[in-house]
Amino acid sequence: MSRAALLAVLVACAAAAVPASGAVAQSAGGRVTIPPDTSYGCVACHADMRSAFVMGVHAERGIKCHDCHGGDPAATVLPAGHRGRFVGKPDKVAIVALCGSCHSDPNRMRQYGLHTGQAAEFRTSRHGRLLLGNRDFNAPTCTDCHDAHTILRPDDARSNTHPTNIPATCARCHEDAAMMGKYRLPTDQFARFRRSAHGIALFDEQNFASPSCVGCHGTHSALPPTVTEIANVCGRCHVLVSQSFDAGPHAQAARDGKIAGCLGCHSNHDTERVPAERIAATCAKCHAPGTRAHTLGVDIQRDVVQATLDLRAAEEAVARLTRAGRQSGDAQFRYRTALTAYLEIAQVQHDLDVARLEELTRRVRSISRDLIGMADVAEEHRWEHQLLTLVPVWFLALASVALALLTLRGIERKKAGS
Amino acid sequence: MARVWRATREWLSQFWADVKASTDAGLLAVPRFLGLLYGSIDTHLPIDQAWRKALAHRLPPHVGWRHALGGIAYLLFILLVVSGVLLAVHYRPSVSEAYPSVQHIVSGITLGWLMRDVHVWAANLVVIATLAHMARVFIDAAHKPPRETTWLAGILLFFVVLAFGATGYLLPWDQWAYWAVTEALNVLAGVPLIGGSLTNLVRGDPIVSGATLSRFFAVHVIVLPWAAFALLMFHFTVIRRHGVAAPKHGPVPAGPGRRFFPNHLLRSFMVAVLVCAVVLSAAVLWPRPLGDPADPARLPEAMRSTWIAVDVSRALAHYVGPWGFAAFSLLGLGLALMPLFDRGPERQLRRRPVVAALGALFFVGFLAAWLAGRQLGSAPPRPELRRPVPAGAPPSEAPPPADTAAAQDSAR
Repeated sequence: MSRAALLAVLVACAAAAVPASGAVAQSAGGRVTIPPDTSYGCVACHADMRSAFVMGVHAERGIKCHDCHGGDPAATVLPAGHRGRFVGKPDKVAIVALCGSCHSDPNRMRQYGLHTGQAAEFRTSRHGRLLLGNRDFNAPTCTDCHDAHTILRPDDARSNTHPTNIPATCARCHEDAAMMGKYRLPTDQFARFRRSAHGIALFDEQNFASPSCVGCHGTHSALPPTVTEIANVCGRCHVLVSQSFDAGPHAQAARDGKIAGCLGCHSNHDTERVPAERIAATCAKCHAPGTRAHTLGVDIQRDVVQATLDLRAAEEAVARLTRAGRQSGDAQFRYRTALTAYLEIAQVQHDLDVARLEELTRRVRSISRDLIGMADVAEEHRWEHQLLTLVPVWFLALASVALALLTLRGIERKKAGS
Repeated sequence: MARVWRATREWLSQFWADVKASTDAGLLAVPRFLGLLYGSIDTHLPIDQAWRKALAHRLPPHVGWRHALGGIAYLLFILLVVSGVLLAVHYRPSVSEAYPSVQHIVSGITLGWLMRDVHVWAANLVVIATLAHMARVFIDAAHKPPRETTWLAGILLFFVVLAFGATGYLLPWDQWAYWAVTEALNVLAGVPLIGGSLTNLVRGDPIVSGATLSRFFAVHVIVLPWAAFALLMFHFTVIRRHGVAAPKHGPVPAGPGRRFFPNHLLRSFMVAVLVCAVVLSAAVLWPRPLGDPADPARLPEAMRSTWIAVDVSRALAHYVGPWGFAAFSLLGLGLALMPLFDRGPERQLRRRPVVAALGALFFVGFLAAWLAGRQLGSAPPRPELRRPVPAGAPPSEAPPPADTAAAQDSAR
């Protein structure tokens, strides 16, 4: 059956099913069906809220309007419906308490495997301090990021808190120049993040292990890391580089707050990689040319540039082997070894261990030369094939033809003679 | 028991008599042995006599070297079958394994590279040989009654040869194969009326994918060989039934003609040895390189074709568009059905100007398209290749907006 026909049948089924069952709603994954409840009074007026709400995870868990908004759901008219413990639309501060009334209760959250620290974390964040301390209603509350009614799981791709949506969620306020002007904050973080290694990994490669805003700033406890915290924040993911950095001479300066940790050489939101040929120039930002530290930087730059060239040559050699039709499995393994050494070079740059750096550079170069040799041999090999094959082939072919010709002549001569 | 013994003794004595009596004793022994195993073909014609009759067959004296073209095509077909079976032993028709298995064939298997390159070159040369054979038949007007069915079977065989190449071209699963087939299928999708649905049937997926590879492999190694085998048997049977066409000028020359064995067989042997040597040399001197592994998300820098039909269809699509492609195909089809209308007794080429013109147009067009395709061969592919053809709709019906095309250009 074609796709169009299938779609037509589905639409027909849906059209037949909807009037029969009343207002049937399905959750995000189509897993949960909310049974029609015509006796539930809130939806008599707030049908639009209901249709937003049933998409979310709270509807799946059986939460209803009056659980947050109070009132009397048995009534279908005003003012009876808004009687009793009626909350209506809570303000931003009240929302934190309202969400916390369930989400801070370990006895309720245990069954869902959710932790209960969000409200406490929020109070420590810049957002929480502005909202709860200063009553600054520019600051976001729970519903600003999670939505008031369509509250989706973070693993739902439509959710505002899905890894790929978080930068846009934050940017809703943090790209607003008028609002950020009041707090003297820049508004180009999202654009810079989008260009960064983290942004490319997150958006282009859909690598959710790559940090979005919350990876470095925290989720509910959102705060910019302080100068002395930066190296620790980056080190949570960049473990090996962080260990090298801690073993090197720059670690103490970072701990003392003299340099901004990793940001001393790399920028924050665009997480710039320092190109191999700019290492010495980066050192020169703090260390005057001619000093011992700067000379060390020049040495490191020379090694890293050489290793980069060697690695590229190795890559090209593997490609040549593949193009020559050679099985490159063995070469691929050797290339991976060179790549591992090269990645380790990126690590040991951070503790300025030049001896180890040179050893790794030599390893990359040695493997690279081996691979180039293998590629050269593979290409030469075909030439040997050609010569060794063609000479006997044509010798045999011409000899056979000559023999056949002679035989034919003989036969014809014999026939003519007879 | 006694009967078996008697039969064996008779056979041995006859065999010894043959050894003594003739030079082709070894050859006669084979059917005689088969006859011993299976009995005679029918009661009137024992199998060894049938064989003897076949060997004693005489060809008319005007059969010359130019009649070898069909035989050359058949020889190349046999080479393709043998090398193809050897390749099929090691080839694996899946997206993840096809390319590595070809690498393994080329580098891991003794003489695997030769197997592959012989297959590639024989595939190219069989098209040339078939075309030359067809041209010879066309010029000699050998397709005229009573030999129309021979011509028709030959035309079908030519299509089978083209289909062999088209399906085989995808199998290495490298970038050239992938994108050339993508482009060829886009051309096919542009054929009016039937193009879209035909392309979907052939491709089995919105883009060239594992489904396409499986289909092409199945058609290449199962469907087409049987079709070719059946058509070849038919082709040869009717040739034997009607004999070789008389020369254009004058009657069949008098005389007993040339014996099939050993005279004609020796001449065939010489041609076969030379053809094999040429194929081997071409395979050794100009191996078909392997491109990068197929990647549906990345266009290759240049499209390189190593197969004639790909060049031809690409040139047609590029210069005359889908309607031109369809018209050229119709012209080819018209030539295939030529025996239906070109039935007069006249066999001189200059006295059948319409047919001669049509035939010349097709052959010249084919050659020109092939050469043009070779020129196009190194051109970078067009960006709209990336768009999968929507189901049932030729791509020409939905041209991209100019700004999209420009954006794609700038993106490249």
